Amino acid sequence: MGACCSDVRGGQQAVGGGAQQRSQATSNAAAAAGGGGGGTGPNDAVDFFYRTKGVQALFTQIELSLSASKLLDRDIISKSDPMAVIYAKKRDGSLEELGRTEVIMNCLDPVWIEKINVAYQFEIVQPLIFHVYDVDTSYHKLPAKMLKLKDQEFLGEASCVLSEIVTKQNRSLTLKLHNKKGQVGLRNLGTITVHAEETIASRNAVEIAFRCSHLDNKDLFSKSDPFLRISRIVESGGSVPICKTEVVNNNLNPIWKPLTLTMQQFGSKDNPLILECFDFNSSGNHVLIGKIQKSIVDLEKLHKEKIGANFVLPSSRHHTHEKVLKGQLFVDHFSERKLYSFLDYISSGFELNFMVAVDFTASNGNPHSRDSLHYIDPTGRLNAYQQAIMEVGEVIQFYDSDRRFPAWGFGGRTYEGSVSHCFNLNGSAGSFEVEGVEGIMAAYASALRSVTLAGPTLFGQVINTAADIAGHSISCTNSKYFVLLIITDGVLTDLEETKNALVRASDLPLSVLIVGVGGADFKQMEILDADNGERLESSTGRIATRDIVQFVPMREVHGGQISIVQALLEELPGQFLTYMRTRDIKPQTATTPASAPPQDHPYVV
Amino acid sequence: MATTSRALEVTIISGEGLRVDRRRPVKKNAFVVVRTNSQNSRSTKADFDGGSFPVWNEKLVVDMPAHTRFLTVEVRCKVNSGVKVVGTAKIPASDFVGGYFPPNYLHFLSYRLRDSGGERNGIINLSVRVKGTENVIGAATCAAAAASSSRPWVGGSTVVGKVSGGIVTGVPVWMA
Repeated sequence: MGACCSDVRGGQQAVGGGAQQRSQATSNAAAAAGGGGGGTGPNDAVDFFYRTKGVQALFTQIELSLSASKLLDRDIISKSDPMAVIYAKKRDGSLEELGRTEVIMNCLDPVWIEKINVAYQFEIVQPLIFHVYDVDTSYHKLPAKMLKLKDQEFLGEASCVLSEIVTKQNRSLTLKLHNKKGQVGLRNLGTITVHAEETIASRNAVEIAFRCSHLDNKDLFSKSDPFLRISRIVESGGSVPICKTEVVNNNLNPIWKPLTLTMQQFGSKDNPLILECFDFNSSGNHVLIGKIQKSIVDLEKLHKEKIGANFVLPSSRHHTHEKVLKGQLFVDHFSERKLYSFLDYISSGFELNFMVAVDFTASNGNPHSRDSLHYIDPTGRLNAYQQAIMEVGEVIQFYDSDRRFPAWGFGGRTYEGSVSHCFNLNGSAGSFEVEGVEGIMAAYASALRSVTLAGPTLFGQVINTAADIAGHSISCTNSKYFVLLIITDGVLTDLEETKNALVRASDLPLSVLIVGVGGADFKQMEILDADNGERLESSTGRIATRDIVQFVPMREVHGGQISIVQALLEELPGQFLTYMRTRDIKPQTATTPASAPPQDHPYVV
Repeated sequence: MATTSRALEVTIISGEGLRVDRRRPVKKNAFVVVRTNSQNSRSTKADFDGGSFPVWNEKLVVDMPAHTRFLTVEVRCKVNSGVKVVGTAKIPASDFVGGYFPPNYLHFLSYRLRDSGGERNGIINLSVRVKGTENVIGAATCAAAAASSSRPWVGGSTVVGKVSGGIVTGVPVWMA
């Protein structure tokens, strides 16, 4: 059943001007303060890793813009509030969500502003599935990511292969929507159009604040409710919307909140942008008040000279004649910002410090038995843990400059006789560090000989120890970031204590990557990796400042679905950048000395 | 541990999912009162259009006398009949004072708000910075850190376990 009243507040929100990456979880304290978080687009940590090994990235980053027409009207009094979701169809037939657009209010011919990024890989077939939903619940202030799709009305589905879109001359493909069974059916469900463009990874962003004066009144009993929509002209001649401001009610001289536009959105500073001012109507039929065509350079000039530019209204009667309106557009604020990328920080001397914790609980199986995940095969075949350490190690050795890794075990009974939930893997009483990945492997093998598997599986103590190390380092320097790798076979015994430890650590320069080996059901881990938007809450009422957990099941890596590099490094740049940006910590340039005492080892990039 | 009163710079950032009477989302005019005790309290301006997801981004400076155990953050909203308390969060001082954090460290914190009946009612996002005063760890420990190259810290931990509201006591032990 459609909602009787659409979410008007939701429909009036600004879209696209926040310079935030869609992959970020719900707004949290850190992101709200910093005004920009998440990754910068394509995962440059992964690209960098491959490039230095001589493997050129065999893909380009593509940005998909969606629009639809003649959608089915599900709502009774008003029209549908559509949102589109793009899925990648994996080899086993399952669907992985790639991204979703925003919700547009009351519109059967929506042109969505939110773009979805996809890596276009030349050598494989990439089937895409598009779903359009009518959003039923109130979506004001709720990030689109948190909307539960099964609660929404399904409007239609379409599918195609990514190369079909990219190889067309105008890079656009229009598909008929059909119902889930694949038939077009008796009712016309409408069409969806997908447009693809290459993304430009750029760290330049522009913050602009707009204001208007003397706008025409389009409402009968009150004044216009204006908002601005900015579009970019694309090669094929059409235009693609990049953002819109919020709606200011009842005002012919509106002042909007500032927008942040990234170069990815506007292309280049000379690209002509179309700025359209509409009068908002809750029926979805917004009336055009006027439009202007300006590039970013032109807008900067308007700001410097403190003059306004007049809107024009294309006349319906004389197509070449445009009526110049009294309404003017002013640029009250214009500033350029640099959104530094993950690699900017790393190459300027920021260090990633990796720490490893290995699961020694009895659920792994007796190490002497061949079925055990800890079985050391005399023929030299690596067991699940050794494989995980080797594969993960290759990545972490690359980013950790000094190759000294704190290494612990948990859940085992050491020679002292009691079960420890954080013992040094190298068996030494004082120091917990090992040298290199081979050091981790050697310490692991020797620990297996001297430690008895016990239990239960508790992460709390290891996380607290890692948090203490991270916490102590911030007294001395702000250019170190810590990553704790927990390799485990599965089911957590005390979820509460682990959540508490994670919440306490969420404001520190620390990320926790949990690698799952074996065949257990890792559903719990997905609760910790708060990708569904639910922030972790401790038992004392404190809520995690940011999502610091990333979970990787080795089963999926070995199944060929994802590469270990991709899986491990997927969220790390985002978590790292959120921490740095909210505290306004910038990459160190040659002129600004590091706040830490001089490092005694050269940093190798 | 310093026994003098300190100044807390609290920036109230935003709130999420606020409701009145457990059912209706807050419409408007929510504001936040921050206090360390009955004499030291400050409040933000009301947010008039954020509804149940208000954004304040307002900095308040409130004194924290020695031995204060909690920072109380209360979200209230102006209704026709006066002012209603939407929810309260009691933040243990140990979450932002003492331990290994350097002086003037900016803590970003979020807490669950509970209404007068003890039911969950939204989330409050804020940042806290303790102004001035020395901290347990000073310059000497950083120098020691540099001397021991890549191992800045070895030894017992300070802030562990459930927080019962007391200020952290504990000094890291150095084994150079």
